[in-house]
Amino acid sequence: MLELVGVVHRYERRVVLDIERFQVPPGSRVAIVGPNGSGKSTLLRLLALLERPTQGEVRLDGAVVTGSGSARRRVTLVEQRPVLFRGTVRENMEFGLRLRGDGRTEMNRVVDNVAGLLGITALLERRRHELSDGEVQRVAVARALAVEPDVLLLDEPTSSADRAAAQTLYRALAEERARRPLAICLASHQLEEAYRWADDVRALADGKLAPVTPETLFRVELPAGGAAGDAGLKHVCVGSIEVAVTTDKTGPAILAVPPTDIFVSREPLASSARNVFSGRVTRLAHQRAGVVHVTADVGVELVAVITEEAVRDLGLVPGGPVVFSFKASAVRVF
Amino acid sequence: MDFLAEGFRRALALLFSADAEVYGIALLTLKIGLLATLVACGLGIPAGFALATKSFWGRRAALTVVNTALAFPTVVIGLLLYGLLSRRGPLGGLEWLYTWQAIVVGDVLLAFPIAAALAAAAVQGVDPRIRRTAETLGAGRWRTAWTVAREARFALAAVITTAFGHVVAEIGSAMTVGGNIRGQTRTLTTAVALYTSQGDFGLALALGLILLLLALLVNVALQALQGRGGVHHA
Repeated sequence: MLELVGVVHRYERRVVLDIERFQVPPGSRVAIVGPNGSGKSTLLRLLALLERPTQGEVRLDGAVVTGSGSARRRVTLVEQRPVLFRGTVRENMEFGLRLRGDGRTEMNRVVDNVAGLLGITALLERRRHELSDGEVQRVAVARALAVEPDVLLLDEPTSSADRAAAQTLYRALAEERARRPLAICLASHQLEEAYRWADDVRALADGKLAPVTPETLFRVELPAGGAAGDAGLKHVCVGSIEVAVTTDKTGPAILAVPPTDIFVSREPLASSARNVFSGRVTRLAHQRAGVVHVTADVGVELVAVITEEAVRDLGLVPGGPVVFSFKASAVRVF
Repeated sequence: MDFLAEGFRRALALLFSADAEVYGIALLTLKIGLLATLVACGLGIPAGFALATKSFWGRRAALTVVNTALAFPTVVIGLLLYGLLSRRGPLGGLEWLYTWQAIVVGDVLLAFPIAAALAAAAVQGVDPRIRRTAETLGAGRWRTAWTVAREARFALAAVITTAFGHVVAEIGSAMTVGGNIRGQTRTLTTAVALYTSQGDFGLALALGLILLLLALLVNVALQALQGRGGVHHA
């Protein structure tokens, strides 16, 4: 288990990360989602032991670890815009294997296997200036997988990849995980990527783990065909409620309800919103700049973002009644 | 013009005549230059690495010192070293004054800040992701430094040639602590100065040409070691 405990990290005097606990359990698939600048890359660099947290600890299997020692060989990071060393792709992939003391035969075996897995066998004798950005990204993942880490950290691994390359990458990761226990922690600003791929999605905002995004996302099964006369409008079961969405997709999907698109009231509103749910406030989380995250149990747990003034005007209190309304077209489908 | 042409003719004749004194001076210069470059770069390049990659108290001040030392007049280095090595100086017991060893020490003092400052700049020019990538693939401190050095190889080779160039071209310190003693501490630069002042322009020019040849040879050797020098291919 790789974890951050009580971490506060600063650049100059600015706090860029403030996390009480973040865990990557063995064999897990964790995704960190958040907008650019939310602290995802910093979080990964701390987990990769490339930076020491200003405060707090990085632990591996319960023991506090630093950049030195054998711990680093168990955790490998592929950066968002990876670089290759001077030399061929093969030499790059052999880099970590040489450090491990592997012989030529073993290095060839590993390199050929991993290159095959990621579909880069044809690139093995090329040099970095002969590769596209997407190819560099795949080679970097291959180079990291070659050293067989216990934890693989990936920062926006498909940012330079087309759809086919992204599929190859995720298939390769799945095959590697099927072969041996490998925990993967991936940072992405794309919710779709995170939810399609990870078992556990955590949201990061302004350097803090935010409860908002994961709770407003749901795995669902979209039915074929919409309601009569309403092309594209579908009603989907989410927990104990039925959510109206507009989509042409069918089958397994992820629904996201953006917290800022939810209208909060005490009584049901006469409006165009197709989704109106009554429930009770379970939590009021006051954020900076007068913003409040209102969590309510309306059959499932949803989070809405409103102002402190609105909270006061509506008289919202934990346990009190509340109505959440949002349009079918506001629901995002991945 | 005749004077110049005569000088070149005499210089070429001396070069091909296997004159023992000329070649003795050239060999001593080469020995001093290589040894001083080796020591200065052996100490200065790691120091440059540390200045570029480590954060420690006084780092900025140390960088300022080495950058300032780049412009240190060689004759002043010679003067300070003279004070240290003279019979009444703190290092007088070594009895190195007016020996080739004293010239080496002076040259090391001259070339060390050059090696440190230029190596620091070379390492700072390497993409920081190279270092992070090496570390995350399990490289320790030395292997990481080696990986960064490989990426900066052209710049580091330039550090070595620059240091060597300064060392073999230096005259102030060599004259002050070496004494320009025939057969013992006479280097190419001190000999050029001497023969020019004596009016033997041809001999001075011959020695100057040998100096240029030495610099050329060292550059060619370094380029051969680097592989495909100058081509911007990784």
